[in-house]
Amino acid sequence: MDAADAEVDAVASQTLGLGIGWRPEIDLTVARLPDLDWVEVVSENICPGQLPPALEQLRARGLPVLPHAVSLSLGGAEPLDTSRVEALAAVAAALDAPLASDHVCFVRAGGLDSGHLLPVPRTRAALAVLTANVTVAQSITGVPFALENIAALIEWPGAEMSEAHFLAELTDRTGCQLIIDLANLYANARNLGTDPERFLDDIPLERIAYVHVAGGVERGGAYHDTHTHPVPAGVLDLLTALRERHEPPGVLLERDGDYPPDAEITAELASIRARL
Amino acid sequence: MTGRAELAAAQAQLLRTLLAGEPVPPGFDAEKVAIEIRALRNKRRHVVDYLRPDVRAALGNERFIQLFAEYATAFPRRDGARARADASYFANWLHARGELPEPHRPWWRRLTRIFGAGLAELRRRTQRG
Repeated sequence: MDAADAEVDAVASQTLGLGIGWRPEIDLTVARLPDLDWVEVVSENICPGQLPPALEQLRARGLPVLPHAVSLSLGGAEPLDTSRVEALAAVAAALDAPLASDHVCFVRAGGLDSGHLLPVPRTRAALAVLTANVTVAQSITGVPFALENIAALIEWPGAEMSEAHFLAELTDRTGCQLIIDLANLYANARNLGTDPERFLDDIPLERIAYVHVAGGVERGGAYHDTHTHPVPAGVLDLLTALRERHEPPGVLLERDGDYPPDAEITAELASIRARL
Repeated sequence: MTGRAELAAAQAQLLRTLLAGEPVPPGFDAEKVAIEIRALRNKRRHVVDYLRPDVRAALGNERFIQLFAEYATAFPRRDGARARADASYFANWLHARGELPEPHRPWWRRLTRIFGAGLAELRRRTQRG
């Protein structure tokens, strides 16, 4: 193992613990949570020069605050919008964050904006685009970078490899880490018939920076990863399945709306911790 | 092997299918595409609803959903468009079609309209004398 590998391993194994997605609507809830190790924030909602006081207080308590972007469109084949990457870099610097992240997806193309994270083809061509964009993004942000797997309702034709192999290749070529979203994995199993256990077998587990869990609902013939429902047992079971293979450095509960009482959030975090 | 330019074209075509009503490209599952189209439109509509709850209140839920679907397909969101602008454009589109009683006027615009009317009257009277 050479020095570069040692550095990657050291960064990849930074222990984060149990965290929650910080949202302004639950700033008081989060401040009061008894057993919280870190938080993640949507970077596009953060102004670097004007951090919310609640986030400053968490940082003052020693909790890491990690920025997570949704709009870089790193899988987009048009020229990368580097201003969005610079915005993420500024937020990461303001938070003194150990890691920044976005998703394996594209958002915009042909002058249109989907407002969503859409899948890219699992092809060598798409991998080349992602590799190039992630390499640029990493050099701009200047901190370790992680990519998250998304939930997809549609699939591109002509797949050349599985999602796990696609992610493995990406980490190999760029040195990036992974955020494994178990709720997205669960959604894809329901909607696309993919095999989540096989996925967990084939991804480079040592590249996992942390894991997401979230709730969703079956509606209109599909499972929707809403982030506004309790985490289903099936998602927690995937956390157990991962834990049998590897201890992830961090796990994060994502909730984006329809916030339940504090006691329910506390209980949900406890049920996640019980699976670790 | 497909290069970057070909992938860019394919991604642009997929977005025209998902957002602007163009036909499903070959190789995609049409049923799943239809679900995705609805999901994307619902997401966009929820944001508009959050920003302009008065519009859904004025139209009623069913009409709001129906009309938003029409608007959303005719005016797919462009790269760089802000959500607040999207909500305003929808409201203006509804007004132009007679679906909303009057365009939303912020209170200060209503005041300048009153003052404007007062000033016009004053001008008319002073010009007479």
